[in-house]
Amino acid sequence: MAGRGTNGRHGSRGHAGRTAALARLLHKECIQLLELYRNSESLPSSPVDGGYLVSIPPLVPQLSDAEKISILHAALKECLRLLEDVITREDAEFSDEDSEYKRKWKTVRDRLGHLLASTEQLLVEGQKFEAKVKEELDGQAVSGSFRLKMWIVRVLQDLVHWTGQTSDTLRSLPAEVEKAPKTMSRRTRRGAEKIRK
Amino acid sequence: METVAVKTDPVTGLHSWTWHSPLPLECTSHSAHIRARNQQSVSQWSPLQTIPGWDIPEKSESNMFPQDKVVPVGSNMTFCCIVKEKEDFKEIMYGRQEMSATRLSRRTYAITATNQPVSGNTGTNVICCSQRLTLTGAVVFVGYPPGDEGLVCETRDLASAECSWKKGRDTGLRMRRSRTKYTLNGRDCLEANERKRWWCSSKAWEQSWTLVARNPLGTVHLMDSAQLTDRVHLLAPVNVTAVEVKAWSATLQWSWSVAAYKKLEMVCQLQLFAHELNSTRNYSGPGLSSVVLESLWPDVDYTVTLYCGSKHGFWKWGDKSAPYRIHTKMDRPDALDVWMWMDSSNTGCVFWKPLSVRKSHGALVGYEVSQSSAEEDGWTPVSLPPGNFSYPIILNNGSDITVAVAARNPAGLSQPSTVTTPAYRADSQLSMSELLSTNGSFVLSWQPNANASSGYAVEWVPTGCSGLCPVDWKKVPESDSSFTLNSDSLVAGVRYTVSVYALSTGAPTLLQRWQGYSQEMTPSQSVRELLPNQSGSDVLLSWKATAMENQRGFIRGYTIYLANAAHLELIANISDPEVQSYRVKGLSLSSYKFVVKAYTSAGEDAGATVAIKMEMDTADMLFVGILVPLGIMFCCLILISICCYKKREWVKKAFYPEIPGPKVPGDWSSPQGPLDVKPSPHSLVHIVESPEWDFTKEGLFPVPEEEEESENDNIEVDADSDEPALLRYYNQVVGDGSHGNQVSDSSGSSNTSVDSTQTEITYAGIQSPTSSQGACGGGGYRPQMQSVIGPAEPQIEFEADFQDDGLHAGYKPQCSWQLDSPEAENFSGSLGSPTSVTSSQFLIPESSEEKPQPSNTWFHNFLSGKS
Repeated sequence: MAGRGTNGRHGSRGHAGRTAALARLLHKECIQLLELYRNSESLPSSPVDGGYLVSIPPLVPQLSDAEKISILHAALKECLRLLEDVITREDAEFSDEDSEYKRKWKTVRDRLGHLLASTEQLLVEGQKFEAKVKEELDGQAVSGSFRLKMWIVRVLQDLVHWTGQTSDTLRSLPAEVEKAPKTMSRRTRRGAEKIRK
Repeated sequence: METVAVKTDPVTGLHSWTWHSPLPLECTSHSAHIRARNQQSVSQWSPLQTIPGWDIPEKSESNMFPQDKVVPVGSNMTFCCIVKEKEDFKEIMYGRQEMSATRLSRRTYAITATNQPVSGNTGTNVICCSQRLTLTGAVVFVGYPPGDEGLVCETRDLASAECSWKKGRDTGLRMRRSRTKYTLNGRDCLEANERKRWWCSSKAWEQSWTLVARNPLGTVHLMDSAQLTDRVHLLAPVNVTAVEVKAWSATLQWSWSVAAYKKLEMVCQLQLFAHELNSTRNYSGPGLSSVVLESLWPDVDYTVTLYCGSKHGFWKWGDKSAPYRIHTKMDRPDALDVWMWMDSSNTGCVFWKPLSVRKSHGALVGYEVSQSSAEEDGWTPVSLPPGNFSYPIILNNGSDITVAVAARNPAGLSQPSTVTTPAYRADSQLSMSELLSTNGSFVLSWQPNANASSGYAVEWVPTGCSGLCPVDWKKVPESDSSFTLNSDSLVAGVRYTVSVYALSTGAPTLLQRWQGYSQEMTPSQSVRELLPNQSGSDVLLSWKATAMENQRGFIRGYTIYLANAAHLELIANISDPEVQSYRVKGLSLSSYKFVVKAYTSAGEDAGATVAIKMEMDTADMLFVGILVPLGIMFCCLILISICCYKKREWVKKAFYPEIPGPKVPGDWSSPQGPLDVKPSPHSLVHIVESPEWDFTKEGLFPVPEEEEESENDNIEVDADSDEPALLRYYNQVVGDGSHGNQVSDSSGSSNTSVDSTQTEITYAGIQSPTSSQGACGGGGYRPQMQSVIGPAEPQIEFEADFQDDGLHAGYKPQCSWQLDSPEAENFSGSLGSPTSVTSSQFLIPESSEEKPQPSNTWFHNFLSGKS
């Protein structure tokens, strides 16, 4: 999380700057949402057993910035899928009455969609990464409402984690990457290939 | 161990018995064995049967039991947490409450929640935690069974049914599978199950209805039965329209959305809303769709709302129609309420009251005033704008005139209202009684008058008002002889003149007149022209009452205060308001401040203050200031004179002792030539200039020649002068005899008679002194020519001089000379001083027979007893 403060650089950095700002905003909202959920459910602040649901290849330094963004984009995509699944299941299981918590859920979902669309423009053409979800809700041994609640917490923890990662990575992009994202992506890809060679 | 009686199943021939464990069986392994007992004989135990719990090593994960239980509020429940292998146990939380856990096995811990409260929206969480992780948990849903009640079915279209009920107490169960499910006569009630409203419909009317409400905690059955005609709830009329609108009525039409209503005998209620004109009207008829609204008011905005119900077996009013607006047309105004008020015998004003909305029947555009008199034929009309409510009247030759006033609006002119000038009666011509108010109102009553064929008029106006006065009146029917003038038409603190007139076809006749205040207040201003007038030791305070408009109540009297530093001291209370002066008696010479306050029944005013400084009057001043001191002085003089007369011998001795005649040895009878006695060439200058002597005031000092010259011209002695009298005396004497020598004598710069051509002897003493200065007292007079021994006690300062100056060895200072003049007393310090020895008087008169006469005044005569 270090270095995720506001420095104002994105204001003059074009699309990537705006995307980084969006990621930072989303990251804050995910933290707020997790806090809101824990308070409303009287859940302890200790982490839920099981680690992160979404797994990606390690972001080693040899990877180019564009590749890192592509990997994180894949992770966020899985987060969105999990989030939508959680919203559907929660509405089905519990009350569908409107509340601040429910409105925040939908705000985070919409903003996550915007972040995915925004980062997609920074991706390297033709290069695709996939993220994996280690566990699915239906595969767990004990069913029940508490399991669903813990699943929601884990999804929110993943959201906090991956939006934070994305925000940090976008902030660390060199300026030339953002001037012509597609062109730069090609150049970066070539550079990355060179590095691999 | 538990002993139970178990019967054999007749079908299967097996024994079965169910045991309900308070602890979920998954929490830990449970073992059971059974044996039979018959009377006192028991069988062997069966082999132990074990139901493995989830805490066996094969199941290494964390788990909690039971999961998602729905229980009623107030129940008790036991939860167990199975900690996963190699993980520690910290606590079990029930909601936000940390519970006391019991360890059941190596990995199983249990808590019991008692008297559970109702859960929140998503149930109550029971959470099992290790030191670092949230291990597992469960949710329990605590709520109530359904509390629905009051099923009622009705029809809106005279065919189908709609049943509704009250939801009752919230079950607290919001999980989908825990929500209350409804069925009406066995059919699912979709509307209610979707939680949209507590309402269920049926396409056909049935005689009886049963609603079943069910949730995991219980079931409720609600029943209702009724005839369709008794449960008609009409829908709202639609397309409400006013087809004909007049000034006093309108026709309203509407239609129904259900065709079956056209044959229904119905009753409708119509609500009219207007400013202060709200009303509700009922109409009835089969399939009612039109009514005529009577008794409306012209030029009024009405808002109409309509709803209907079944007339036979009325169930309830149907839905209200949308509000509809009607504006009635205008009509001619009503007649005005007119009155005439005379403020003098030939001037007055005709007044009329503004018409209310109900009476104007449309916005007024003006008034028409016409007047006629006996001397003139016909009416003289005048048009006035709508803001006018009065018109001045002037009587010519004192003959009565009749005034007619009518109001005009766009619909026409009202009926004229006429009034004839009443006879003017000034207040001073009447004996008016004081009118006391009752709770701010005036209750008036008068003797019925036979001439009051048109009733009475009560008129009230602020007393003493002139010009544009707020005249108000009220006309009372002939049958009444009393009237209550309410406080809302009166102003507190204002004196009103209230008059009652008898009304007939002619001029109104004054019957009675009063004056009074609806509410008395303290005067707003203090008394005027408060003046103090001192008369000896008395002060007469006089004042005038404040103007009537400031009195704000009947003046009941005055209070007079003496204002001290911090408070007012009441010195008089004058209860007669006609008395407007007061005499404060017996005041000493000092400053006083008086405060005079007028009071009404409401209290005193702020008070007027006047200050006065008591002074003596002229006669006293003359007496005390002049005559008394003079008298005292005169008395003193008389006393002194008497005293001196009585003691004249003593006085004479003391002040004017007899001067013995000189005893001259030898023959002095015939002159042998002029005695040439030359004064000492040293004169007295030598003595006076003794450096040890202080000449400033108390001693003698040499007179400068210039002063001598000037003073010689003025013989009179200046009594106020500080100049030593001695010198003046000397000069005077010298001047008498030797004017010429004084100026020319420069050698002495003093006052010597060095070159005197007539007197050769220096006068050293006139009388024998009686003072204690022995040098002068015992020896008496001794001419200087005598060579006698010096004084026994000469002044020390001059002793050396006398010793050095042999020419003055026999000289005797004139130690008693100063007694010649009273002024000399001030120079007692110089007694015996050598400086004062000079004298130009002749010690020996020309005639030895004559005694010296230092002065020859009446005082001397008086003292000596001469007349």
